[in-house]
This record gives sequence, structure tokens and C-alpha cells, in this order.
Amino acid sequence: MWRNLLVRGPSLRQVSQRTISTASRRLLENRVPEKQKLFQEDNGLPVYLKGGIMDGLLYRVTMGLTVFGTGYVLYELMMASMPKKQK
Amino acid sequence: MAHQAHSYHMVDPSPWPIFGAAAALLTTSGLIMWFHYSSTTLLTMGLLSMLLVMLQWWRDVIRESTFQGHHTPTVQKGLRYGMILFITSEAFFFLGFFWAFFHSSLAPTPELGGQWPPTGVKPLNPLEVPLLNTAILLASGVTVTWAHHSITEGNRKQAIHALTLTILLGFYFTALQAMEYHEASFSIADSVYGSTFFVATGFHGLHVIIGSSFLTVCLLRLIKFHFTPNHHFGFEAAAWYWHFVDIIWLFLYMSMYWWGS
Repeated sequence: MWRNLLVRGPSLRQVSQRTISTASRRLLENRVPEKQKLFQEDNGLPVYLKGGIMDGLLYRVTMGLTVFGTGYVLYELMMASMPKKQK
Repeated sequence: MAHQAHSYHMVDPSPWPIFGAAAALLTTSGLIMWFHYSSTTLLTMGLLSMLLVMLQWWRDVIRESTFQGHHTPTVQKGLRYGMILFITSEAFFFLGFFWAFFHSSLAPTPELGGQWPPTGVKPLNPLEVPLLNTAILLASGVTVTWAHHSITEGNRKQAIHALTLTILLGFYFTALQAMEYHEASFSIADSVYGSTFFVATGFHGLHVIIGSSFLTVCLLRLIKFHFTPNHHFGFEAAAWYWHFVDIIWLFLYMSMYWWGS
């Protein structure tokens, strides 16, 4: 408080705002309204695909893993349930 | 566009429930393959798909609430019931392990030397690192409450500081506990003492890690302006879970570390 009265230079608040570059300031802004606009767009997409290309990619990777994995489980189950041939 | 005449959330069709079920199948089958056939392929696939499903499902819940506005007070009430019921189920989970501990420790068998701790077992000193861990978790309970108050008062900077401190305390606990596990003179294979101690504290440690992860997600959302002073249930759910983890530790400390030493 006294510093503001006695010193004519920039206040601590001004200095901390000045030192942040434009690029990193974008990270400290509220971008929720942009996201709200994106996810409320009337494009018929379900929420799990509505975010963009990455959504579809991640979905396909997950599906690939689980579908292939389920098939593999059934294969291993079949192999485990067949008796080993003994002489 | 059609409008609903009720305050509930009719979700979009989603693949995550069935993929989650498949992930559970892969994980459990993977455990069998690991235990009986020494193969970790299925287990890895299971854990990976579980992680992917969790990330995408909860990402979608954030989209539906913060970005699409579907979480009306009615929906939030349902989520509150859900979280409380889940935490209650976890309490019963731990109850089982406490039951096992008291079953073995209240009437120690002759094989153990008729005493608890069993003959030859040198328990950890409850007044050393375990006491510090107790203080750490209690302090983290204070900081998470501080964070909550800061959120409801609209004080963003303080909320971020308090929540960060909470998470750091959680990491400190985990690091100390890992060190204790390494330094302990007994292992999980050392009679029923080792079994009850490491299974109960081990599952607790896992829950600390889960709680820390939940709080970290909340921190990221807090920084990204997702929470408002009146609507921040994700944070409240994380805080409830964190308090639960703290309480379980207090019971563990009093029974296994202190009484059981």
C-alpha cells in the first residue's frame, strides 16, 4: 500500500501482467465459451465424436483394442479348454 | 430442435459402457494368463483399454456438463447420490480386509507363536514415518477444504494454491509409503501378518493414487475455468473421495500400525 503512494513506477500487479507473453496469456484466459460453442453446434454428432478428428481416432483405437482383445480372449479360452495331447 | 419437458439428462448413445466391459474382460483374463501361463500381453491390453475408456468417458461427462449444460440441479442430485453410494461400497471393500486382520490378530494361532505380532516379525514403528504420514493426510484434508472455500468465494488464485498443495501432500504420502515398503523387514509372504498388512495398506495406497489423480484432473479443470462458485460438483466428489481415503488411513494406523505393533 505504501509502495503505491511513494513509488511512481509500475505496481507489482502491472509488472506481473507485463511479463507474460501473448502466447502464454492465451493459456490463462477463459476458453470455456469457445468450447461451449463447439459442443453445442447443431451438427448431429454424438458427444464422443463432437470434439474433432482426434475423437474419431481415439475411438477407433479403443474399439480396435477391445474387439481384437475379446477375440484373443476367446481364442486363448479355446486353447486352454482343449486337453494337451499325451502319449 | 426438440426440447425436453423434464430436468433429467438423456445421454447420447455412447460406446464406452460396452468397451469398458470388454476392458474388464481383457484385464481379468489377462490376470489369468499372467498367473497361469506367464504371459502379460492380455493384461497390458486390458489395462490400456481400461485407461482409454476412463479417459474418454469422463472427458465426455465434462463435455456434457461444462460445455453442453446438461447438469441441472436434478442431475447433480443424482450424481451426489451416486458418488456417496460408490464411496460406501469402497468402505465395505476395506471392511473386509479389516475383518481379516482382526480375525487373525485377536486370536493368534500357535503357528504364529500365539502372539501378535507373530514371533520373529519386527513391525514398523508407528511413531516414525507412519505418524508423519498421518499428519500429511490430515493436513491434506485441511488444504482441500481450504480449496473448496476458495472456490465458493470465487478466489481463483487461492483455490489453485490450496489444491496444488493438497496434491503435493498426496504425492509426499505415496513417496514415503513406497520407501517404508522398501525398508520394511517383513514382506507380504511373512505369514498372515504380512498378508493383512500389505493387502490393506496396499489397496489404501492405490486409493491414494486414484484420489491424487482425481484431484489433479480437478486442478486442471480449475485452471481452465470449468468451475463456478455455485457449480463444481466434480471437485466436491474428489474432495469427498479424498476425505474417505484419509479416514481409511486413520483406521489403518490405529489398528494395524499402532494396536497391531
